[in-house]
Amino acid sequence: MSGGGPTAGDRDPSQPRPAGEGWAILSYMIGGMALYGFLGWLIGLWTGLPVLFPIGMLVGLASAIALVIFRVTRS
Amino acid sequence: MSDVRVLTTASGCHLFSGCGYPAPSISDFYFKPIFTVGGVAFTKPMLLAVVTAVIILTFFFVAFRKPKIVPRGAQNVGELGVLFVRDQILRQQLGKKGDKYLPFVVAIFFFVWIMNLFGIIPLVEFPATSRFAFPVALALIVWVTYITIGIKSKGPIGYFKRMAVPEGAPWWILPLLAPVELFSNILVRPFTLAIRLFANMLAGHLLLLVFGLASWYLFSLSIGLLFAATSFLLTIILTGLEVLIQALQAFIFATLTAFYIADAMETAH
Repeated sequence: MSGGGPTAGDRDPSQPRPAGEGWAILSYMIGGMALYGFLGWLIGLWTGLPVLFPIGMLVGLASAIALVIFRVTRS
Repeated sequence: MSDVRVLTTASGCHLFSGCGYPAPSISDFYFKPIFTVGGVAFTKPMLLAVVTAVIILTFFFVAFRKPKIVPRGAQNVGELGVLFVRDQILRQQLGKKGDKYLPFVVAIFFFVWIMNLFGIIPLVEFPATSRFAFPVALALIVWVTYITIGIKSKGPIGYFKRMAVPEGAPWWILPLLAPVELFSNILVRPFTLAIRLFANMLAGHLLLLVFGLASWYLFSLSIGLLFAATSFLLTIILTGLEVLIQALQAFIFATLTAFYIADAMETAH
């Protein structure tokens, strides 16, 4: 989402980030790998290329890491 | 302990007596129904859930029935608990504007904690949250709550956008990242919330069973006595560890509840 200043919502930026932020990373990792892994597996089943399953998982992992980087570096 | 387990331990199965170690298994998490109402079996975990609700309601009713300026007795303890949840869980995530969700988070925290705590109470010794249905139901309540709050504060489209579009990401990468963001916010969150609590309680209960049963099984007038003593010592130490884990899991569950509510309310990160 574009816009918004460097402060995170109305949270005091001098305070440490809340613990929930850390758990968000876990849900990105699981979500990314499960979603793109499943998509890769599905397309692999359709095209007869089983290698698409691990490739999908890697793509999911990469997008999860990208999401974490964007989320953390923004505020 | 399940009825099967009680039979095995009561049968006097010991080291060198020819029978093997009665290893705990998933069957220890299934109970004979106490009674059945219209095809629905009422089991021990259900009873524990009801008892938990009664304990919490009674305690807080007694504590805050006649509140005094200078708290004493039960009111003191009750205030300590509520203030702990407010200052250590809710305000960490939401600040002062989150105080209207205090009753919800207090209820979640104490319900999960007491349910967990049954794992080490003598004679009960079963954490009700190690049955998957309880964490799932709690996670569903949290899920419905934070989605409702999100839709209320930003409207259905605004909230959907907030859930799907990661902040700070350049537009050209959005097609790749938006599905992951949406998937992890809508589906993975309640799933991990339930799994985390359930798996921790299941593993903890199994661990205590392994060493508890071992101290009984190894108990005999032989070298086994030494092993039994070690096993018993470990049971005690692990019980201490479980006390910590039970409180910690309740804390994490309540913290994440508050975090999800905060995330749904915030306009931008």
